[in-house]
Amino acid sequence: MSNQELLKRMSLGYQYTKLMADQGYKLIDLNMIEPFRIEDKKFQPSSIVFERDERMYAIRSDWTRSLLNFNEAYFLEDRLFCYYGPVIRNYRSFYQAGVELYQPSTDEIVNSIKLHLDFIKKQAEQQNRVLRSLVANNDYLIDLYLEKYDLNNEIRFLIYDKNLSELKEKLGADHPLYKLLSTRVSQQFNLIQQEFSDDARMKLINQIKNIAEQDQIKFMLDLSFRSPQSYYNGLYFQVFLNYDTPLLSGGEYNDGAFGIALNLEDGGLV
Amino acid sequence: MITVALPKGRLLNDFMDYLEKQGLEQYSTVLDAKSRSLYTIVNDVKFIYAKGRDVPIYVENGSADIGIIGLDIITENEFDIMNVSRLPFGECHFSICGLPGVERFQTIATTFKNIAFQYFKEKRQQVSLIHLNGSVELAPLLGLADGIVDIVETGNTLRANGLIEYEKIMDVHARLIANRQTFYTKEDKIYPFLKEIGVFD
Repeated sequence: MSNQELLKRMSLGYQYTKLMADQGYKLIDLNMIEPFRIEDKKFQPSSIVFERDERMYAIRSDWTRSLLNFNEAYFLEDRLFCYYGPVIRNYRSFYQAGVELYQPSTDEIVNSIKLHLDFIKKQAEQQNRVLRSLVANNDYLIDLYLEKYDLNNEIRFLIYDKNLSELKEKLGADHPLYKLLSTRVSQQFNLIQQEFSDDARMKLINQIKNIAEQDQIKFMLDLSFRSPQSYYNGLYFQVFLNYDTPLLSGGEYNDGAFGIALNLEDGGLV
Repeated sequence: MITVALPKGRLLNDFMDYLEKQGLEQYSTVLDAKSRSLYTIVNDVKFIYAKGRDVPIYVENGSADIGIIGLDIITENEFDIMNVSRLPFGECHFSICGLPGVERFQTIATTFKNIAFQYFKEKRQQVSLIHLNGSVELAPLLGLADGIVDIVETGNTLRANGLIEYEKIMDVHARLIANRQTFYTKEDKIYPFLKEIGVFD
């Protein structure tokens, strides 16, 4: 990294954490070496694990998981946290910044997303760039479709794969689910909204769509859209400045937690 | 612009034939399987010629937005990609083959170790697997293995070497795959292209 890029990353990290602190988030830092439990490996397969004095430890590989473990181990007075610091995955280190919200209300989730979108929009504008798109999904929407049309779990995995040819073969070209998934992703929201507009998850997605469009960000909802991190189990979204790497990633996990991470490496701002 | 990764070899020829049948001469006439050039640009589409096994790697990492690849490659190894559609070419199958008279396979040579492992595991049959990079038909002839797991297209190579098919493992065909991010961020270009080449109705 050049001097300019390093300074830019530090500046971005400072501006971000300052903004979150001003908005009532508790800034937190943790030891990079953390106690390791075997179940953590499922969620953090790239963690480096080692033994010392007959105890197992791991080097922090994901702030979300580290904070969740920290939150479960101690009684904390705060519910809204903001972090900034390095993580190591598969021998490679990089910086992460983000927030974690424990037991947030829907308003707190929406406000946090709005706060992040405004922040990155301002940063992008300073570089004369515009945010490309926000892509969202909630795995629960797949449950709604499977239940409504009495479909089995095999269909879920075809949806994850976006395997349109097999979906067409199994469901038929006229099936509403096949029609939905073969429609352009930017048009899927309206079709899902027609079927499940009363559902609370769709109402939240609708709110996110509105704040994205207020910031002139193209909004897309796609049932096939998923996080590479397996712990997300509800709403999940990414915001793009570049074409192929997200600048923001966030979502619900662990039944009652919500987080957003800012990509300080290849998200496009540094 | 969108980038389409194409595998050099038989699948590329099949894809060119397919484009020609679809009346898409603007693409089929400029793609050249024998060219030493590494890419061809047609309007807003850049076609890159890659080794088959590398196609999903280019797509997974976003160097290519779309790829054409055999099902064998993406079954043998896991990639974080969208496995969008079956394409109407590239049909062949995986089989267990060997010299006539083998009663029970004990050593299998293959380029596709994961597929072979999975197959024998499901059959609860204990075998030793030997990985070879190609020309696996040699292994039974030289006594390195008593069987092979390999792709069979016409069966000509097997017959020419005195080998027979014992059991079909799985069908293989060409697939269209897509990058998990640019499928969204380049939607405006990817959808019209997929529609143009007949992937979507």
